[in-house]
Amino acid sequence: MKVYAGNFLKDVVAKLLDDGYRVYAPVKEKNYHVFKAVENADEVDFDYINTKKSPKDVTFPENEVLIKYGEWVEEIPAQADKTAIVGIRPCDIQGLRLMDRVFLEDITDPYYEAKRKNLLVVGYACNEAGDYCFCTSVGLSPFKSNYADIIVTDLGDKQVVEIQSEKGEVVASKFNLSDASDEDISRKKELEQKVLSSFVRSVNTENLKERMAEVFNSDYWKEVAENCVSCGTCTYLCPTCFCFDIFDDGELKGVRIRAWDSCQFPLHTLESSSHNPRREKWQRLRNRFYDKFYYMLVRKGEFYCVGCGRCIAGCPVGIDIAEVINNIPSEVKQ
Amino acid sequence: MNSETLEKIKEECRKLPDDVSYIVGFVKKQGEPREVLKVLKPDEIDRLSYSPLSFNNPARIVMDLMKTDGKIAVIAKGCDARALKQLEKEEKIERNRLYIIGISCPGVIDYRKFRNAVKFRLPEIESVELVGDEVIVKANGEEQRIPFSEVIFENCLYCEQPTPKDYDVLIGEPREGKLDFSDIEEFEKLDREERWSYWMDVFSKCIRCHACRQVCPLCYCEECLVDPSNLAVSPMTPAEEKAAYPRVLGKTVSASDNMVYHLIRVLHHAGRCAGCGECERACPMELPLLKLERKLKKVVYEVFNYSPDEEIPFLSKLDILPEG
Repeated sequence: MKVYAGNFLKDVVAKLLDDGYRVYAPVKEKNYHVFKAVENADEVDFDYINTKKSPKDVTFPENEVLIKYGEWVEEIPAQADKTAIVGIRPCDIQGLRLMDRVFLEDITDPYYEAKRKNLLVVGYACNEAGDYCFCTSVGLSPFKSNYADIIVTDLGDKQVVEIQSEKGEVVASKFNLSDASDEDISRKKELEQKVLSSFVRSVNTENLKERMAEVFNSDYWKEVAENCVSCGTCTYLCPTCFCFDIFDDGELKGVRIRAWDSCQFPLHTLESSSHNPRREKWQRLRNRFYDKFYYMLVRKGEFYCVGCGRCIAGCPVGIDIAEVINNIPSEVKQ
Repeated sequence: MNSETLEKIKEECRKLPDDVSYIVGFVKKQGEPREVLKVLKPDEIDRLSYSPLSFNNPARIVMDLMKTDGKIAVIAKGCDARALKQLEKEEKIERNRLYIIGISCPGVIDYRKFRNAVKFRLPEIESVELVGDEVIVKANGEEQRIPFSEVIFENCLYCEQPTPKDYDVLIGEPREGKLDFSDIEEFEKLDREERWSYWMDVFSKCIRCHACRQVCPLCYCEECLVDPSNLAVSPMTPAEEKAAYPRVLGKTVSASDNMVYHLIRVLHHAGRCAGCGECERACPMELPLLKLERKLKKVVYEVFNYSPDEEIPFLSKLDILPEG
């Protein structure tokens, strides 16, 4: 465990920009923060709990050109520049890990793979939990993630720097780091205790798989969806929602684009026979909760919810994933 | 003040005609001070809640419930009633199946501003009351007073009809509104380039989640111009025909395509927008969508002298305009 006397995150942004990296870091918009490709370390602001949108678009952009066509089809080579994401929170690092499992396990997506291979991840341990945060309920830690190349904890006057990969080592070696003292370590532990005690929200995940298997046909889902407007906010803000659509833009000449799609849109499941297996909005909303806490648990062995709370903060009608999961009826009402 | 309003709402709900099957009202969200919309049965009156954080518009749910049988009672603020009126004019709602419990509305709180202003964590908050021009927040045996003007939803400042025009019973003393486009007039002073760069910046942030469209009670089209190949297909539709369907706008999210989306959306609200502000509240990227709606409203008012409160729809009024 190392320490850096100063703002390591900011200095690493400057260093990486100098080294020709494309750097994504949190930038303050009017009332919120978002990850943006920055040109200067001064644009960055690390005083935030979590960003409005998840940084999933770094490796999985909302629109991505797959091929160009005209008289001939011209394939776009899957390649990416050296890219870094600096200041990403542990929940979003888990989001990245879960996306990796979708795009790189079994069938490898070349476009995603190229971006991912060239990505350096500098994580940022949380200093406090937001009102909608519940990562501790889904088995995550707000200050640890083995999946980052480097993870930084801010102690105010200095930052603790944990190097977790060779890639991280290469970058960290360019900085003047000293070994963490016993005092630094105890200060870090103290901060972690403070962070843990700042959580105000939790999800009951006990026997969740069994509970969800039982209530699939319950009227509960209709009640939950009463208010739902079938927009894509929850899925577009979610760090682990990966559905996309592919379409051609241009008739004789144009591009084939991959674009985010949402299971909440009725057209998402409309088949060309005109049959729609999820015609009703309650079926679509139910799908989202099953996807996060059941289907992916069966397929990949883990929850596809990282507890960032963005879907709760963003929902226009106040649908709250934590509340929905906690209130799952214990007996099936038909 | 709102606890008083709530008591009156409950009282009126207990007196509802026997043929009312549903009450569309607000219930408190678990773990937070705000209210959410809920369809209640007449025997669930005790679950009702109401505060300046009851900001959603119930008109969309009322329209959904028209598919069922029975009468519907609805708790409606001035803007909500305006949306209901518009849907009635467009024959989406049968007025005789509706029982409107009107609320004379002092304005609602902007939840984003509220969350910034309040010093408590959300689950700790026990009550949020509007008393005079102060919002009193109680939590942990403590009290925080926030000036209402600091947290009011900006659009409410320009509300021309805070008291519903049409209701079966009204709660609270009628309030005067006024037609005020001062915010839009201020914006119009910017020159063309400034306005262009302002909107391009706004539209570049749009993620096209379509929350603004979905949440709007007046955006009820089943097929929308901006959805890809959304025209009805049947098992008999040949592939060539499907391929030839027009696509106005794909899922491309460039600032210019997003602009087309928003302009199409807003133009369809000409003379119809109730000004409830659901679009702007719903926008996860906090884009100033009401500026567009209000500009259009101003045009409709100035050019056609039409206000959505009139009894006839805007388009039918265009038919009876004198020539020239």
